[in-house]
Amino acid sequence: MNLQIVMLLGQDGITNGAIYALLALSILLVFTVTRILLIPQGEFVAFAALTMAAMQGGTPVRLGWLLLALAAAALVMDSHAAWRRDGRIAVRRGPALGVAYAAGLTALTTLVPLAEAGVALQALVTMALIVPLGLALYRVFYQPIAAAHPLVLLIVSIAVHVVLVGVGLLMFGPEGARTEPFSDGGLRLGMVMLNSQTIWVVAVSLALILGLYLFFERSLYGKALRAAAVNRLGAELVGISPELAGKASFALAALIGSLSGILIAPITTIYYDSGFIISLKGFVGAIIGGLASYPVAALGALLIGQAESFSTFWASSYKEVIVFTLILPVLVWRSLSHHGAEDEE
Amino acid sequence: MIAKKLAVSLLFGAFAVGAALPADAQVKVGVVTSSTGPIALVGIPQKNSVPLLPATVGGQTVQYITLDDGSDPTATVAAFKKLITEEKVDAIIGPSGSPNAMGVIQFAAESGVPMLAPVGTAAVVLPMTEQKKWVFKTTQNDDLIAEALLEHMAKAGIKSVGFIGTADPYGDNWQKVFGEGAAKRGIKLLASERFQRQDTSLTAQGLKILSASPDAVLIAAPGSSSVLPQTTLFDQGYRGKIYQTHGAALPDFLKLGGKKVEGTILAASLMLVLDQVPDSHPSKKIASDYVAAYEKQNGSKPATFGANVYDAGLLLERAIPVALKGGEPGSAAFRTALRDALEQVKELPATQGVYNLTAADHSGFDERGRELITVSGGKWTLVK
Amino acid sequence: MKPGVLSKTPTVKPAVPMPKLSPSAWILLALLPVLAVAPLVLPTYQVTLANNIGIFALATLGLVLLTGVAGMTSFGQAAFIGVSAYATAYLATVSAADLPGPLAWMAGSPLAGLAVGLVLTFAVATVLGAVTLRLSGHYLPLGTIAWGLSLFYLFGNLEFLGGHTGLSGIPALSLFGIAFDRAEALFYLIWAILLLAVVATLNLLDSRVGRAIRALRGGQRMSESMGVDSFRAKMTAFLVAALYAGLAGWLYAYTQRFVSPAPFSLQAGIDFLFMALIGGVGQVWGAVIGAAGVTFAKQWLQDLLPHLLGRTGNFEAIVFGLLIVLLMQRLPGGVAGWIAKVFERRRHRPTGAVDDVDLPAAEPLPRREMPAKGEVVLEAKGVTRRFGGLVANRDISFTVRAGEILAVIGPNGAGKSTLFNQLSCVDHPTSGEILFRGERIDGRTARAMAGAGLSRSFQHVKLLPTMSVLENVAIGAHLRGSKGVAAAALRLDRAEEARLLDEARRQLIRVGLGQYLHVEAGSLALGQQRILEIARALCADPCLLLLDEPAAGLRFLEKQALAELLVKLRSEGMAILLVEHDMDFVMGLVDRVYVMEFGERIAEGPPETIQTNPAVLEAYLGGVE
Repeated sequence: MNLQIVMLLGQDGITNGAIYALLALSILLVFTVTRILLIPQGEFVAFAALTMAAMQGGTPVRLGWLLLALAAAALVMDSHAAWRRDGRIAVRRGPALGVAYAAGLTALTTLVPLAEAGVALQALVTMALIVPLGLALYRVFYQPIAAAHPLVLLIVSIAVHVVLVGVGLLMFGPEGARTEPFSDGGLRLGMVMLNSQTIWVVAVSLALILGLYLFFERSLYGKALRAAAVNRLGAELVGISPELAGKASFALAALIGSLSGILIAPITTIYYDSGFIISLKGFVGAIIGGLASYPVAALGALLIGQAESFSTFWASSYKEVIVFTLILPVLVWRSLSHHGAEDEE
Repeated sequence: MIAKKLAVSLLFGAFAVGAALPADAQVKVGVVTSSTGPIALVGIPQKNSVPLLPATVGGQTVQYITLDDGSDPTATVAAFKKLITEEKVDAIIGPSGSPNAMGVIQFAAESGVPMLAPVGTAAVVLPMTEQKKWVFKTTQNDDLIAEALLEHMAKAGIKSVGFIGTADPYGDNWQKVFGEGAAKRGIKLLASERFQRQDTSLTAQGLKILSASPDAVLIAAPGSSSVLPQTTLFDQGYRGKIYQTHGAALPDFLKLGGKKVEGTILAASLMLVLDQVPDSHPSKKIASDYVAAYEKQNGSKPATFGANVYDAGLLLERAIPVALKGGEPGSAAFRTALRDALEQVKELPATQGVYNLTAADHSGFDERGRELITVSGGKWTLVK
Repeated sequence: MKPGVLSKTPTVKPAVPMPKLSPSAWILLALLPVLAVAPLVLPTYQVTLANNIGIFALATLGLVLLTGVAGMTSFGQAAFIGVSAYATAYLATVSAADLPGPLAWMAGSPLAGLAVGLVLTFAVATVLGAVTLRLSGHYLPLGTIAWGLSLFYLFGNLEFLGGHTGLSGIPALSLFGIAFDRAEALFYLIWAILLLAVVATLNLLDSRVGRAIRALRGGQRMSESMGVDSFRAKMTAFLVAALYAGLAGWLYAYTQRFVSPAPFSLQAGIDFLFMALIGGVGQVWGAVIGAAGVTFAKQWLQDLLPHLLGRTGNFEAIVFGLLIVLLMQRLPGGVAGWIAKVFERRRHRPTGAVDDVDLPAAEPLPRREMPAKGEVVLEAKGVTRRFGGLVANRDISFTVRAGEILAVIGPNGAGKSTLFNQLSCVDHPTSGEILFRGERIDGRTARAMAGAGLSRSFQHVKLLPTMSVLENVAIGAHLRGSKGVAAAALRLDRAEEARLLDEARRQLIRVGLGQYLHVEAGSLALGQQRILEIARALCADPCLLLLDEPAAGLRFLEKQALAELLVKLRSEGMAILLVEHDMDFVMGLVDRVYVMEFGERIAEGPPETIQTNPAVLEAYLGGVE
């Protein structure tokens, strides 16, 4: 192993680590606000990448139908709740608008050929599909049981993941896809050629992390979300509804997930079921951060990226074994620094 | 209460299965594919090919009963038992995965049901045993393909090869078969790297291969996972020869790889280069018909995995009329006769090549079952 | 039963002519004939399914214990099955020449396969449990996901285990001359093992160790303070679950006679969790229902969906996932949980009489040597507790003697709770000492102190609402028993168990809850729940009782009864310290009062002098309550 190889492996590790870090952050965000381990986080990534690829390849974009179905389900659930509460069916504006939005977007993506629309517009449409998808997932699957035992939430998370992977196979087929790079060429830094997509990944990740930081530190909504994470009841008392907090955190997670998907789609082949394994590495990062600390989680995710890169070079067939076993020393360390028995509410 | 529930569910289970039994079919063939789960990319084209299988053979209607095992070997065993004991099938086509197939051989053999396995690994028919007598394999054995590649390598003066394969049965078998073949020809295997289908980055594997600086690289991966290793090597500046296996023989390979897979050499059936093979090739018409029918039905060209199931249908089409002399469909005598008849199939042209089965060789392909193909100008081109 | 026992127990029990059959016994009785004839009448395929269900149910049973009862989520069950199945398959197919000499006898031996499989599973589970079980709940699921994945990839990479293609050619199982080569024969073996495991699990849960495991879900702080080692209880549940998976793996290898990595993937681990939850959280029979439900649901979906949707394929997983979501939204307790609830409503309505018909009287448990009356039991010396800059307790000193009740009172925010936490060893002083019977106890754990004779109640009642009143109280006697998992599973603990339950019964009758022994603790009124906590504390045979606001929420008559009980305990030589708000209750009862304000002592003395102490009056009347 010479220096150049070390540099290249490091670069590879940073690219992957940056994606894992983004996912770790959104997993952590959703967990602290809603106590939900967002197992389907990876599906946002895969769906975004595959939707981009479908647009560029001129194959039918079917994600809109899923969004439409979920929006319709949300509308039905909402009306049903209204009926049980007031004894009459009422259609509220929010869910109705959701259906209209989903229908509009579905029409746009199925009728208008977007193959030549350019990467920026395609990315925008993709995010316009995925972000409300996160919101709708929360509304349909999690909101009715928001107060349930964390175990129930976890099981629902896994079930939603299973459903989404099944839907993914239907929508995108079993073969993988990749998209065109945002730009060609690269940047030469000393002896190492930096791939342009790598620069994109790192730059966008940094910008997103900075944006999140500003959002949570400076903006009112961000502060409200943080408040909801610290104390749900307290937040509710001052007018931040847990529903709003839940939806907002899911929408943010979907935004981060779709961006990650758009970013890595040009450098790799993404399959309908790729999301899970990618997001698991985000989970490992979140665990290193103790499911609490954002900076440590991000650093942990970067570490996973590096570990993955170097262990692949060292023994490629044992890569996954090494990466997932890495979690053990972290757990040992956490276990030793942990005292006493606590009840979980 | 619970006991009753269980009894009811057991009974109802039996009923539900019983209700699905139509009475009029004369020959019954079970099909088990993995149309969901990790190897869905293999199973889906296989499942889609089922409607194209012959509907009547030798004056008998053939009914196909398709089950999905979700890529899980336990479910494959359950599906086989269901087909054998509930549906009383005369033969089974499937399953899609090599481990899945390994796990059901004994059950097919114990109940005396011929099994036509469209799987990659030669281990299902080699070495021949009492149980494997019931198994027929409708894909080219890996060593047949490997032999073609090795021959090309030897001609091109390649002395050393780097290997990248998937960490699955496909990669396992290729590493073994190619390693053995290369050793015989004095070609050195310099690096042997593995990856997962869903891996997002193969930079490290690429670097490992590059630092070994082999004369050529062989990539053994099924379906579109064969693309990423090659594009990675290209991006890392590797411009040497790259060989692919028949796992890469699908339209998506060109779509995903683009300019970066130009010049690839692979050995596969003639399906990719139908327009270039001479009309005299015994498989040309059959393969063209299959591709056209598949495209009409599904709107896309099939991967070779689907053709392997189609070939199983052709084998049955040839063997069933012979077997009918041995007994009534649905009887053990018929199934035994079917097995014997399958073993006697000679010079059967099919989509993948020409079958010549013997008691020792239950795969039965010769060099007509493979073509050397290269990518040139973004198109599959026959190497003449 | 010894002749002298009856005279010692406070109430004379009527003889029990016939033991009442539990619901599980009824299920077993009903199930046995069905299972006996099933392989004879069912077609082979159904028997195969039933075998799979049996194996899955065995693994799920472990999860019911782990997830349903103990509240810990594990995705590792499939991986444990894999460890054992691979060990079995390897030993069954390896030739004796390939094993090192002393181990050569293991080749081809099914029993050696079972033993090695179980030992390996146990070893892996011990390591995994040791690093994850001390941590909060989300680490175990994520840890087991990670380990399940790495094990899956490891199986595929090991050449001697057949790589990704797997190990084939496992011969049919033959035990003691009986060949289990057909699905029908295996059926009896699998279901016999499953039913034994179910009975063992039911026995385990209905025991001292079982109560400790059941207390893990939402009652860890309480049970720790009753002397239960929560970590050990978690480990027990985790290991038992892993061993069930190990057994399942052995059966799996001989049923499929082929192993490959795929059936032990994370996906399979997820399926087991689904089975456990569909069957029912915490319901032992739910394992069977869940395994059968999932297996049949998948079959039906595959049979029905093509008819419903008019096309085949790929919808099963989606519909299955949606069904799970719906089930979790509508029936979070699972199918068996729902059935059990319906039945539970019909049973056990309090009748007003002492409800101890099914409890045999037993020899009382040995008691600890109590301090002599007047001996100092608890002493605080200059206890100070700081939280950052805030001083919650400053220089607190007092003593409590055997046969004396001391009340600590003070307005809100006076630091009483902080003090109470330190006395009960949940928290520790920044400086100063706490002595219990002359020994320093600050820094020791609440669990250790439970064994020494310090027993407590909680300000916010902590009990296990779905457990019976009797069982809740029996947790208090945890340290007075010693029988472990094996004894419980095999019912070798009955004599000790009877003594523990008898003690719980005695204490409940003593505090006046005798007619509620078998009702769910959660159905008691708040006041009764507080009394239950005192009974539980008494069950530990303490010499010091720490009571945190015992009279809060009690009605007048209940308060009177409580006061009488405390007076009686005092006369027996018990040292009692109570933190209380209710002045009337305190003043008529206690020997001395210790008054705090802003974390400091402002007065101490007999109730009469305290009532007229100007500083106290100022604190209570002048301060804002």
